[in-house]
Amino acid sequence: MAEIGTYSLRLALLIAAVGIAAGIRGGLSGQAEWTRVAQRSVGLVFVFASIAMLVLFHALAVSDFTLEYVAAHSARSMPLPYRLAALWGGQAGSLLLWLWMLAAYGASALWANRRHHRELAPWVAASMLANAAFFLVLTNFLTSPFDKLPPAQVVSDGNGLNPLLQHPAMMIHPLLLYTGFVGFSVPFSYALAAMITGRLDTTWFRITRRWSLFAWAVLGVGLMLGGRWAYEVLGWGGYWAWDPVENAALMPWLAATAYLHSVMIQEKRDMLKIWNLVLIGITYTLCLFGTFLTRSGVVQSVHSFTNAGWFGYIFLGYVAVAALFFFGFVIARRNPLRSTKRIESVVSREASFIFNNWIFLALLFVVFFGTMLPVFSEWLLDKRMTLGPAYFNLFAGILGLALLFLTGFGPLIAWRRASANSLRRQFTLPFTAGVATALVLGIWLRREPLAIAYWGCCAFVIASIVQEYVLALAARMRGHGESLPRAFATLLRKNQRRYGGYIVHLGMVFVFIGITGAAFDRERLENVRPGGEAQIGPYRFEYLTADPIPQQHYGGARARVALYRGDEPLAVMKPEKRMYWLEQQPSSIPAIYSTLLEDVYVILTAIEPDGSATFKLYLNPLVNWIWAGVLVFIVGSLTVMWPAPARPQRAGAATTGAAMDAERGA
Amino acid sequence: MSKGNQIAIGAVLCAALLGWYGYSQLGGAATYRYFQTLDEFLASDPASATGRALRIKGYVTNGTIDRALEERSERFAIQNAPPHGGGTGDTLAVLYPSLETPDLFQDGAEVVVEGHVDAADGHVVFVAENVLAKCPSKFQAAAGAPEAASGTNL
Repeated sequence: MAEIGTYSLRLALLIAAVGIAAGIRGGLSGQAEWTRVAQRSVGLVFVFASIAMLVLFHALAVSDFTLEYVAAHSARSMPLPYRLAALWGGQAGSLLLWLWMLAAYGASALWANRRHHRELAPWVAASMLANAAFFLVLTNFLTSPFDKLPPAQVVSDGNGLNPLLQHPAMMIHPLLLYTGFVGFSVPFSYALAAMITGRLDTTWFRITRRWSLFAWAVLGVGLMLGGRWAYEVLGWGGYWAWDPVENAALMPWLAATAYLHSVMIQEKRDMLKIWNLVLIGITYTLCLFGTFLTRSGVVQSVHSFTNAGWFGYIFLGYVAVAALFFFGFVIARRNPLRSTKRIESVVSREASFIFNNWIFLALLFVVFFGTMLPVFSEWLLDKRMTLGPAYFNLFAGILGLALLFLTGFGPLIAWRRASANSLRRQFTLPFTAGVATALVLGIWLRREPLAIAYWGCCAFVIASIVQEYVLALAARMRGHGESLPRAFATLLRKNQRRYGGYIVHLGMVFVFIGITGAAFDRERLENVRPGGEAQIGPYRFEYLTADPIPQQHYGGARARVALYRGDEPLAVMKPEKRMYWLEQQPSSIPAIYSTLLEDVYVILTAIEPDGSATFKLYLNPLVNWIWAGVLVFIVGSLTVMWPAPARPQRAGAATTGAAMDAERGA
Repeated sequence: MSKGNQIAIGAVLCAALLGWYGYSQLGGAATYRYFQTLDEFLASDPASATGRALRIKGYVTNGTIDRALEERSERFAIQNAPPHGGGTGDTLAVLYPSLETPDLFQDGAEVVVEGHVDAADGHVVFVAENVLAKCPSKFQAAAGAPEAASGTNL
């Protein structure tokens, strides 16, 4: 059975090679037959990659331990969903997943654009296939998921997935991240095709807009889901530690955010063309680099490349080749890409977006430097230097504030050159809201100036979003006689990207509100005997008992702690300390009492030999605003991405509700 | 000079300011630590490293974990090679002024301790601000962390 998988991958590699050649031939000669061969090759690679995936899924489902990969990552005791999710639990399987997604994206992007911009198709196919070919080489010759164990070593049960990862969030977290990473191969390939064919106008990013948005939104959600998992399962009270693996996924998301905004300027004013190509090149390169970082373990270990070995070198080589190829083209095409237009004023939307780009790049550099310093310092100085969360928080704190400010400023500032009048008209209310909020908070809290600045900025951005919506809704209701809900719907329909984008911004503001709350986190370690009490902030804890938790796969203790605010009983919290038998893996599961104001977070640190229990108590203010913000982010992203029927542009046409219905074909 | 260039220069200036601010924070927030194995640390005259921020990787020596409830601290010793692999050799005494060691912290576990050296009364003690036990590797089963697994008796 596994042979089917192996042969599928071999075939896929052959087909990819053929397709690359056909794509190049089709692109150079302009002959449609070759392009068709290339496109069909992408489809066939998808088919064979799917077969390989199904074979592996099957092997995992039936616990076929003759396969080394299944034995290493799955176990009979795991429920079926987790056995299947073990496909992306290890290196070989997740490379296969990357490959499959690449083929899926390639096939669907080419199919979606089959009727237009055909001159780009052969190059897009070649690019996607070239990327797929790398993963095919890896999974065919270097790290195959279908390797068999020598007959003497076949086991009756596998190692199983780390129990910390047997959590619903962890099942889909890698899928989300990969859907995001691989998704950027589409705009990347179209950008490459555009440079090769000389089609340097807005085409390449317009036709890949929804693909980029989708990849970006999914990657963002994946990042935040990872944070939520860390919060719920890892039991250290936090959700982001600037771990190299976390940073590896964050960096492409930062570059992609800059890219998504920057392309708006090219659309409206035909500027920043080189910026946009550079940004998508950086984004995709960082996706590959992030995969490399996470897979090779190059940063975590004390001594780097010796641990990463051949895999590290090959992957890094691939990243370098892809980057050199892409940026080589950017340099080659720099003259036709240069804009004829100039920035007219520093106080303008164009300039704000340029600032935005620079700040994102600075943040990217800070994260990259902090993540890679251990590797570079060892390579250059023979001493391995590491930077901790304090470094990241310091710079991210400053740069994040600037970005938050631009989130409110950018949409309001006028194009080309903002007059004093327009500044006054647009910014009076939001600035007042921001400054007033900061003043009130400053007087009330009297500490943490950076947090107060952040919350003031959040108020500024919220006020700017509300102002935009209110003005537009009022205009529609007054001018077209629409009711509020209808005006709202029309607004979202007629200017989907703008008003949906505001919802996304609102979600990010909520996330910032939540993150800033960490400045006021409180924590306390307490040792109490049964019946004893502990206190943190306005909350009182009474330690009731601890019971053993005999489960099939793990044992340990569960403490019962009664939570009061003053005299009012709130909940019985049950933090656990588990030991997973098979994997010998201990785990602390926190008990969390959540309100919009704060989280009360309790960890059972230990049941001590003398019968007392040690607890770590945390108060995390505003943390649930983060998760609420993610929900708003998802709604906003869906709004921006939602397929809209193509509508011919009409300048200033007055339309009634009925006419718009007819227009929409409803 | 075009506005675009003005903006670029402004950006570079801001970056320089930020970098200078970050550099000034080097002793505080932006501090870097040298990451060493225990052998490397012991070879480099431990007593002289007093006060410097360090990060050392080692393995918890069997039987040395001492939880002092009243003092709210833990003491243990680390050695360079995994104990269950028959490793012996020089050890370093560690004082961690907290009771919350990570879940994986046990005899023989691979740990990274962050902190500084205190060589006050001639004894070299590493005062840890942070104790990290080996993170479960996502890409290998827990058996990929053999030191933690096989060195223990449950």
